[in-house]
Amino acid sequence: MSAALKLDDVAIRFGGVQAVGGVSFSIKEGDFVGLIGPNGAGKTTLIKIIAGLLRPDKGSVQLSGVDVTADGTAARVRRGLALTHQIVRPFREMTVLDNVALGAGYRRTSSPFRALMHLDRRLEYERAAEIIAQVGLAGTEKKLAGSLPLGQMKRLEVARALAVEPCVILLDEPLAGLNHAEASKQVEAIAAVHAKGITVVLVEHNLEEVMRICRRLIVLNNGLVIGDGEPREVMADPDVHEAYVGGGMASHAEA
Amino acid sequence: MYYFDLAVTGISFGCMYAMMSVGLTLVYGLLRILHVAHAAVFALGAYVTVLVANATGSIALGFLAAVIVTPLFGMAIYRLLYEPLLKYRPDVPMIASVGLLVLMQDAFRIVFGEQGITFQRNAFAFKTFNFAGVTVSALQIAMVVTALVVFTGLHLFTTRTRIGIGWRATVSKPQIAASFGIDPIKVRYLNFAVGSVLAAIAGGLVAEMNNLVDPGIGFVVSYKALAIIVLGGLGSVRGTLIASLVLGLVEAYGTIFIGSWLDRDAIAFLALIVLLMIRPQGFTGARAA
Amino acid sequence: MSAYEISIISIIGINVILAVSLNMISGFCGQISLGHGAFFGAGAYAAALTMVGSGSVPLAIMAALLTGSLLGLAVGFASLRVRTDFLAVTTIGVNFLFVGFVRKQAWLGGEMGISGIPATGFGPVGNMTMILLFAAATIALSLYISRSWMGFAFRAVGEDEGAAATLGINSGAYKLAAFGIGTALAGLAGCLYTFFTQFITVDAFDFIFSVMLMAMVVIGGIGSTWGVVVAAVGLTLLPEAIRFVNDYRLLVFGGLLVLVIRLAPGGLTGMVQRAFLAVRRS
Ligand SMILES: Nc1ncnc2c1ncn2[C@@H]1O[C@H](COP(=O)(O)OP(=O)(O)O)[C@@H](O)[C@H]1O
Ligand SMILES: [Mg+2]
Repeated sequence: MSAALKLDDVAIRFGGVQAVGGVSFSIKEGDFVGLIGPNGAGKTTLIKIIAGLLRPDKGSVQLSGVDVTADGTAARVRRGLALTHQIVRPFREMTVLDNVALGAGYRRTSSPFRALMHLDRRLEYERAAEIIAQVGLAGTEKKLAGSLPLGQMKRLEVARALAVEPCVILLDEPLAGLNHAEASKQVEAIAAVHAKGITVVLVEHNLEEVMRICRRLIVLNNGLVIGDGEPREVMADPDVHEAYVGGGMASHAEA
Repeated sequence: MYYFDLAVTGISFGCMYAMMSVGLTLVYGLLRILHVAHAAVFALGAYVTVLVANATGSIALGFLAAVIVTPLFGMAIYRLLYEPLLKYRPDVPMIASVGLLVLMQDAFRIVFGEQGITFQRNAFAFKTFNFAGVTVSALQIAMVVTALVVFTGLHLFTTRTRIGIGWRATVSKPQIAASFGIDPIKVRYLNFAVGSVLAAIAGGLVAEMNNLVDPGIGFVVSYKALAIIVLGGLGSVRGTLIASLVLGLVEAYGTIFIGSWLDRDAIAFLALIVLLMIRPQGFTGARAA
Repeated sequence: MSAYEISIISIIGINVILAVSLNMISGFCGQISLGHGAFFGAGAYAAALTMVGSGSVPLAIMAALLTGSLLGLAVGFASLRVRTDFLAVTTIGVNFLFVGFVRKQAWLGGEMGISGIPATGFGPVGNMTMILLFAAATIALSLYISRSWMGFAFRAVGEDEGAAATLGINSGAYKLAAFGIGTALAGLAGCLYTFFTQFITVDAFDFIFSVMLMAMVVIGGIGSTWGVVVAAVGLTLLPEAIRFVNDYRLLVFGGLLVLVIRLAPGGLTGMVQRAFLAVRRS
């Protein structure tokens, strides 16, 4: 069985900063991996490379055994990848239902020509309503996405990611900025995603939650992997400890 | 000597383009707005120069009046048009700006006539000198000298005075203003004021060169200025100066080679399109479009 | 019907096609084009040459559709490279370049344009009817697109390309589709214009005309087919009805453009919607 996601020697440089410096790992199907590290470690950058939002200077990305390094984001999504943005990006002028339905109709929008041939949205609206209920947003369907409070927008991001029926889902700080009650609802939604057999890669600062729900941790520091394995063992590693203390793990309020 | 004459033409045009474009690049650097209506400021400068010069008999007074009137106009554009539109996508203020330019152009036509206005006395502009076979007009000298004076002054202002230093810092990084103890809103007004003064001077000089101000005077120049600021790397004053000279020279020599199948003025458009396609972030600046 | 009425109605039909097609590109898909006049012109010249060469109406229509959309696709590639406001600048450039190029081409009649274009043989009323049929078809297509999944995806691309990509929508393909369809229709409008006047000069396709078309779209309510149709009809009739507007056309159009963006960014459609909501609430 091939890995759900495989990175081989991925690196990228911004001017003087080596944001990611040769990262390799492989994640098996159905796993729940926490990607952690201090601020500026390169987590978001790595997620963007996996998602095709950034082009790496070198290295390759494979999804279910297929090399997607040359593909754009849309093509990767069609191969079973989904992601949520660290900074939420709903279509503010559309309703919550439309936001999710558009994802649910990803087969219809695969080419402009096919999209032109289809009018009916009923099926997608039904699926979207189900997903919206799953992430605990039932009742908000008719609201404009831009009018939601942050906690709900973050769940909308998860709902949209689910709508494209992914095999692998990348979540970049889905809990950041949420209060306690909102965060626990969001964690429930994420756990439900994993329960469906979807491979989850979670970037998160809230170590308590990470330790609770992840089965494997990959620790990044200065763009390099400095720890990888079972969560408790990884956190016990002195190098990891050092990086965190040095990098200031208290700074949750990251942009 | 023909080639030297072309160089003189190119450089003097380049100086004029530079004065026109710096205001645009400053506005873009600070607000991310393509201030197309800068051309209306340029045209207003030209009209005021001619009108006052004809009324008083003094071209200097004409320039003085232009330099006083246009910054008010530029700041009003910011206050009344752009400020309320900053919350929208950048193409919204840009379309509004195009609308304003079209409106102003028609207003000039309605008030001052389709044919435009000529200087009653403009002997100075057409005096020519001969340096070892190269012909230079007094106006070309004036363009180059004015540009040198203006940009040296600007350089001193932005390196020697506190407000100037803060201004420059703010344009390159708008979030920084507060840390200089500078009111970012004042910086915006300063930006429009200075940019408008430079455009007005350029407008007055072009009016003298053509011995005419007509309603369309700013139109083509404004588009060229857009080409220049992209070439210069959006927001970079130094890049804009270099790009202005480059365009002036390319146009001067370019007419020899492609003038038969393309308007001289279309060269800038072609250059801009090619440029945007191959390097959308400009040649010198690191800033992304 | 008087000759005057026939010609006004024909012009209205042509302007409706132009404004509605521009709305597909700029309203539906969010790609601001200030050079729609160039595609209009390209279609007109293609049709004129075809008519002079062959006299065949169907051939002229096809040539115009094809020329408009080929030029449109070329410009569409630009939209893949640059941010929206720079795309607007690029399209202005394309418009100037088109005019500057045609002026110098002897085979396109240069400054003099092309005259003596063979008539369609349908007569003024026949031409007008054909124009109105095409305008109706354009409106129908526009309404259909906005309801289809293509329209749905256009809205996403117009609002946030990055977010659209994360839903598996290939923004580039959709932008090209918007340009391809919108500019083909502009080419068609050019062809109908050629049939109508039988004489074209490049001045009819300049940047100012493109700004007028954008004014129709913005004033009607960017993205709303019916709003744009109403604005296109109204703004075509306005200079005919009011002498002042005719003399000061650019002043009025530029002024309306500025005022609407500044005070009512949703245009007529937005105002009607707000009035409707207010009435329902009270
Ligand atoms: N677009 C960019 N340009 C320049 N530097 C960047 C860019 N994006 C990220 N960086 C730098 O790369 C490093 C990693 O950033 P990031 O991936 O956001 O870290 P994390 O998400 O782990 O906090 C940081 O030093 C950051 O400043
Ligand atoms: Mg991050």
